[in-house]
Amino acid sequence: MTVFADFGSTWSKIIDSSVKIIKTKEVPGEIIADFACGHNAEKRSNRYVNELIALSEGGLRLIDEKDFLLVDVGSRDIKYVLYRDGRFVETGWNQECGASQGFAIELLEMYYNIDCNRLELPENGYPVTCGLIGISRIFDEIIKTGDEENALAKFVKGIAMNVYHFTGKPEKMYLSGGLCENRLFIESIPCEVVPLGRFVLVEGLKEIYKKGFC
Amino acid sequence: MKVGFVGHPPNDIIEKYRSEELIDIDNDLGQVEENSDIYLPKISCSIIKRIFNNALAFRPQKIIFDVGEGKCDSGRFLSWILKEHFNMNIIETRNQNRKGRGTIICDSKLPLREKFDLILNNIIDNKDYELEREPHPRAGFWSVPCWDTGIFDLFPEGTRIFGWTRCFENGTPDDLEIECYVEKDIPTVFYAQTFCSKNLLAKNLARVYRGLYVDCDGRLTASVKAQIEAFLYLRGT
Repeated sequence: MTVFADFGSTWSKIIDSSVKIIKTKEVPGEIIADFACGHNAEKRSNRYVNELIALSEGGLRLIDEKDFLLVDVGSRDIKYVLYRDGRFVETGWNQECGASQGFAIELLEMYYNIDCNRLELPENGYPVTCGLIGISRIFDEIIKTGDEENALAKFVKGIAMNVYHFTGKPEKMYLSGGLCENRLFIESIPCEVVPLGRFVLVEGLKEIYKKGFC
Repeated sequence: MKVGFVGHPPNDIIEKYRSEELIDIDNDLGQVEENSDIYLPKISCSIIKRIFNNALAFRPQKIIFDVGEGKCDSGRFLSWILKEHFNMNIIETRNQNRKGRGTIICDSKLPLREKFDLILNNIIDNKDYELEREPHPRAGFWSVPCWDTGIFDLFPEGTRIFGWTRCFENGTPDDLEIECYVEKDIPTVFYAQTFCSKNLLAKNLARVYRGLYVDCDGRLTASVKAQIEAFLYLRGT
């Protein structure tokens, strides 16, 4: 059995005899993947794969188009690959200015006990490029209005706009990562968004294994 | 006498001090006391901070500071600050040389790290090299000398050097035409120190030549490293 794992900063996506998503801090120490990418993957695998390469390969496997932009929004970063005419064109990885945005949404949903999928799309978002700065804006807004739901919705919209700008204001993007399950986030991006789920990088690892390279 | 220099001052000035102990204070001279946090804004680039820290740590009797267009405004202002506020003996120069000495090292088959070492040491250890040209470089690197030299190890041997470093080897540090010269079929990484105005060129040249633009403040981050590795891999390098 070949084990594939995308060890995210907060969540790990693993395919062995089953498909599982578990908190990275709870991944059993004995799990050593055959092919892995992500947080600490060099120590937890026999074969470490660069995350952007895994993302690219995942996109090539899952997207049936020659031109595509695939964006992975993780707990702590944003990364993308752009293909034109079936050929790699561009990549970007915003770890510093995209810091902890996905994780901040998750924390705030838990803290305020709000499900983003129930929230209305706000007209405007906060101009946030960093999860931590965004949290300050939320606290300010709540002090001012007492409306926790609206504050969180504006935060999510702000993050969505940051992703949109970082990826060059595309007309269409394929989305990878946990935020595929966040309706508000998807609707906040002002272009066509096709969610591909949380296993895009793992699919990329499988493709790399299949092709026998990298 | 210790004589520091910054940027690429004109050769005739350097020659005057050739018999002295020349120190390139742009470069990594080992661990020195970090004073830039006290005196310089946080948004100063890592090289400017390094020049400042090195100048204070080594206290050369003179500093030949190239303050022309071949350096930058931050350098020009730092030169003034060192002179006026720190009592340093500064010789300001503006290197407008247009007699290029060639780019044999940039175009050679050597590994990137070795190329940078030879180019940057060539002011102190002035030599003419005969090196075999790499006719088909698998990658290009457009940059200024990097604060974190670990970046060089990410590139294949024979990576062609573009940008200001190419101007430096050529002895024409303010030649914008050479600085913007890139070969379009070579997958090229365009690198600038964070907060350096060369980011304007790097980003736009990367866009036009379909390269990878990255900036880094000091130490190479995991994401910059991964982007370079992925870019070179996915472009078939």
